[in-house]
Amino acid sequence: MRILLVEDDRMLGDGLQAGLTQAGYAVDWLRDGEAAVAALGAESFAAVVLDLGLPKRDGLSVLQWLRGRHDATPVLILTARDQLEDKVRGLDLGADDYVLKPFDLDEISARLRALVRRAHGRPEPVLSLGDVELNPAARTVTRAGEAVELTAREFDLLHVLLENADRVLTRRTLEEQLYTWNDAVDSNALEVHVHHLRRKLGNDLIRTVRGVGYTASLRPPAA
Amino acid sequence: MNPPAPYSLRRRLVWLLTSAVAAIWLLAALAVYQRAHHEADEMLDAQLTQVADTLLAIVAGGEVEHFVKELHEHAHRYPVPIAFEVWLSKDGEARRLVASPGHGGFATGITAGFSEHRHLGAHWRLYAVQDDDAEYRVVVGEAHAAREGLAREMGLSLLLPATLALPLMALAVWWGVGRSLRPVDDVARQVGALDAQALAPLDESAPLPSEIAPLRAALNALIRRVTEAFENERRFTADAAHELRTPLAALKIQAQVALRAQAADGRQHALAQVIAGVDRMTHLVEQLLTLARVDPASQGSVPPPLDPAAIVTAVCAELLPQAQRQGQTLVVDAAPGCAVAVTAAWLQVAVRNLVDNALRYAGAGARIEVRLIRSGPACAISVADNGPGVAASSRSQLSARFVRGEIEGDGCGLGLSIVARIAALSRAQLELGDGLPRADGGHGLAATLRFDNASGPA
Repeated sequence: MRILLVEDDRMLGDGLQAGLTQAGYAVDWLRDGEAAVAALGAESFAAVVLDLGLPKRDGLSVLQWLRGRHDATPVLILTARDQLEDKVRGLDLGADDYVLKPFDLDEISARLRALVRRAHGRPEPVLSLGDVELNPAARTVTRAGEAVELTAREFDLLHVLLENADRVLTRRTLEEQLYTWNDAVDSNALEVHVHHLRRKLGNDLIRTVRGVGYTASLRPPAA
Repeated sequence: MNPPAPYSLRRRLVWLLTSAVAAIWLLAALAVYQRAHHEADEMLDAQLTQVADTLLAIVAGGEVEHFVKELHEHAHRYPVPIAFEVWLSKDGEARRLVASPGHGGFATGITAGFSEHRHLGAHWRLYAVQDDDAEYRVVVGEAHAAREGLAREMGLSLLLPATLALPLMALAVWWGVGRSLRPVDDVARQVGALDAQALAPLDESAPLPSEIAPLRAALNALIRRVTEAFENERRFTADAAHELRTPLAALKIQAQVALRAQAADGRQHALAQVIAGVDRMTHLVEQLLTLARVDPASQGSVPPPLDPAAIVTAVCAELLPQAQRQGQTLVVDAAPGCAVAVTAAWLQVAVRNLVDNALRYAGAGARIEVRLIRSGPACAISVADNGPGVAASSRSQLSARFVRGEIEGDGCGLGLSIVARIAALSRAQLELGDGLPRADGGHGLAATLRFDNASGPA
């Protein structure tokens, strides 16, 4: 899951990036509102962690801009302000959740998972397709009840595919969801991960849509 | 010592107006009395001469006997206030022919015309007249008491309604003053109902007399100032608490990252961040305390003038190692010889914050010049750098609390607030302008603390 973190405080941003990366997210960190708008206009993220007090363009204005273009990317607001009207205003402008500083790393990860889950209209926390089950909180995968060992990258790829089950995801979308700007991406890295996933979970789960990308689906391909 | 007893405006007005009216009325009555007295004199003098002339005509006409008879018949029915005597002079001997009953007779030898005499223990006004051949002589007189009685009556007739009207007037004044002062009561009630926690100005749309409206306006101005100061303090407390939340969040997250880090270098980085975070919070707390200490109450009277040169030099010497660590050039030009009236500790804090700001935000390798500038009796401390500078449009916001420039630095946004506060309390101005020129043609920032109150060396 690729996440955009917008936080101007160097120390907090650095910590959140490291902490959320530990929790399995691919985190891109920007430090002002203008840069956030530019990034959100160009790429897609699974969720945005947005500080309110930002230089150049404040968080609420970024949020307003995002919702103004009908972008439903879940937004989690970080704020030092606990006044009720601030919260109400943020939520009214389209924030999905609100966390007051100082907060707990686990809380942030849990809230992000819930946001992503809700964004895909999925009520249950565990993703499943056929006999494969993926638990985003525990970062575990089972096949027919048996635990399957996956690398972090394989887990993330499977997570994205299952989250978008029955939809064809382009290579670019998948790469955007998996890699941050700081990751050096090999041109065939995606194929390698897909290959490994097939080996561990069976060949039927992930299908290649030639010239487009991949999809996770139990249904036979439409002619 | 007791406070002076409160007095009632209403009672005072009632007393004042009533006694003024009473005094005026009394004077008027006195004047009327005088005038009446005068008029009565003239009138009664005329009456006297008339009576005397008539009597003379009667006696000279030889009807004395008839007259005397008539007189005796009617004397008891119509007591006449005028007494009279008729004298007959014959052969050099004067004989009293007739006299009004019951007065005993006037003294002899009364001169013709009007005269004043004492008679029967009272003052009388007499009038004597005689016929052409000095045969008959008539003296008429009237006691002054009678005349005064008339004048007194006229004066009293004016005073009597006044004594009745005065209490009524006092009541009317009492009522009128009370009614006119009702807006004062209203304002007092409104002020009394004010909530100290949520001061709100009085409703200015309600009509008030022009004497009381300025009181309400002044009160509202005061309420607004107090509310503003109160709000300012409240906002500051809230801002300070919020400012602490971000570094606290950073500390917690970095500590959690360190706990969970698999790799040693990741853990080391996070722990180093935790330590830096504690340093940063220490700086913030110190700046907050400094700001709280720069309080007008702690200053007392105007401090004696001091020469800022030593303080400027000492502060720069203290900060020089920091500048050297950051590869910055710190130039100091502070010749002694000027005087500013500022508390030494405050001046030190102000200069340190200005230089510290420059070191923090001008960037590595920057040049920072600290100068003591004298122009006439005035004296200014200028800290200029060739760093990235601040756009002229956003300079005015910089001295607001918790506002940092766009440039990244690890300051807490309080430095210029502290300097601005010290400046305000020391009758100095903090000016932000263009600093030293940069290689790319732009300018850094210059912060100048201008003391206008500086007096030359004594």
